[in-house]
Amino acid sequence: MPLDHRRVPGPEESQPPELWAAAGEVPVKGREEEDDGAAAPRDPCALRPLFARAGLLSQAEGSAYVELGGGTKVLCAAWGPREAAEPGAALSGTGRLFCEFRRAPALVLQDGGSALAAAISAAALALADAGVEMYDLAVGCALCRCPGPAAAWLLQPGEPEERRAEARLTLALLPALNQVSAVLGGGQGSPPESWAQALRLGLDGCHRLYPVLRQSLLRASRRRDAAA
Amino acid sequence: MASVVLSEPEKIYILHGVQEDLRVDGRGCEDYRCAEVETDVVSNTSGSARVKLGHTDILVGVKAEMGTPKLEKPDEGYLEFFVDCSANATLEFEARGGEELGSELGNTLYRVFSSDKSIDLKSLCINPRENCWILYVDVLLLECGGNLFDAISLAVKAALFNTRIPKVRVLEDEEGSKEIEMSDDPYDCIRLNVEDVPCIVTLNKIGYRHVVDATLEEEACSLAGLLVSVTSKGALTSVRKVGKGSLDPESIFEMMETGKRVGKALHAALQKILDEEESLGSSRQKVGFLG
Repeated sequence: MPLDHRRVPGPEESQPPELWAAAGEVPVKGREEEDDGAAAPRDPCALRPLFARAGLLSQAEGSAYVELGGGTKVLCAAWGPREAAEPGAALSGTGRLFCEFRRAPALVLQDGGSALAAAISAAALALADAGVEMYDLAVGCALCRCPGPAAAWLLQPGEPEERRAEARLTLALLPALNQVSAVLGGGQGSPPESWAQALRLGLDGCHRLYPVLRQSLLRASRRRDAAA
Repeated sequence: MASVVLSEPEKIYILHGVQEDLRVDGRGCEDYRCAEVETDVVSNTSGSARVKLGHTDILVGVKAEMGTPKLEKPDEGYLEFFVDCSANATLEFEARGGEELGSELGNTLYRVFSSDKSIDLKSLCINPRENCWILYVDVLLLECGGNLFDAISLAVKAALFNTRIPKVRVLEDEEGSKEIEMSDDPYDCIRLNVEDVPCIVTLNKIGYRHVVDATLEEEACSLAGLLVSVTSKGALTSVRKVGKGSLDPESIFEMMETGKRVGKALHAALQKILDEEESLGSSRQKVGFLG
């Protein structure tokens, strides 16, 4: 099979160390109880505290840092506008947005669940900070559904919830226009009503996160004016 | 993706037609083109299928090989997908042009089959942690006429249905060393249960309505669409938005309902053809590539 050249080259047989750690450990009963306690009812609509700050890299034209409570940290930088290198792009007449999503060391500093959603918000903030004209800020939100019959969808899952999840959904919304710009979901099958319910929950979450992102942009521009 | 260049009046013509539930070739918004499905077309594979959906032509071959299972799932076999966009399909696929499309199609297939309910992977295990069957699914795009995802998923399901994996027995010596023995009878094989394998339905949004099974011209008029994978029971296993434009949340709900309806009908039709071919057995007249 031909290799995927876009991936970071590494040995093909590499495995995460957690696999070996779990095999060697003696199971401790106390640990199981703790896990059950953590899985105890959590408000499915609760949003994790989000910290967003724009304009922190001096070298990049626009940058943003988004941190979700529970350990997801995403840093994004935007450069441009730059001339598109490929000859094909010149014919199309439209600009090309080149996106790079790297796990470490640059972009996703720590994945504590909902990394893609945080990255979408960070990228939108960075572009806005760079002064690129956009229709609206894209706000990303992630959901997951726990295993078990008739389980509810949880908003912004943390890493342990995401690992145990039966189905996942990430969506990006343009709140001012109320248009969905991206949906990505997968997992165990469920009827469309369940996915629709998840979408509604996600849309609500995006609307609630929108003011936070706008505030951070406002603060960044004030800081820039004060420094200039 | 291969694309045609349309003039503004042509786009308006298609748009107005779709509003009235009348497409250029006379179909309704939820009708598929006439599809031809044939299995067992390539002789040196474990299973193969060819699907012709209008001008879209897909050939899928499945080869079963023995290998070591993945570390995190030691008692299951797995599937490996590879999509090859042949240069015959369209001019844009010349040399390495089709690689990006090929890897996007491959990633979609991986996501659709990532759920462990779609195929019983435990039946592919021979010796836990040591041996298992790996199914290499190779998809070849012979002609690109719009709606690639749907045709590919139909062909993959048909090829998996047609796959015959030889039966093996594990013999244990007194010292505990295991030996794998393949049965001598070439017709003694295990078949896969493809009841829960999902099919992809692509819905493209044109104007205020959405269409199923878009041709290249209709894809050029549509800015956004939804790709859903539906099982035969009507459950959606994955959802993805495609295209450069954005979608209204209400449209997404409507598209998911349509996808479920259309997907169930698609599964029923495909299963009927596969059962018919199965019942004819070796007396079936194979059409092959020259028909």
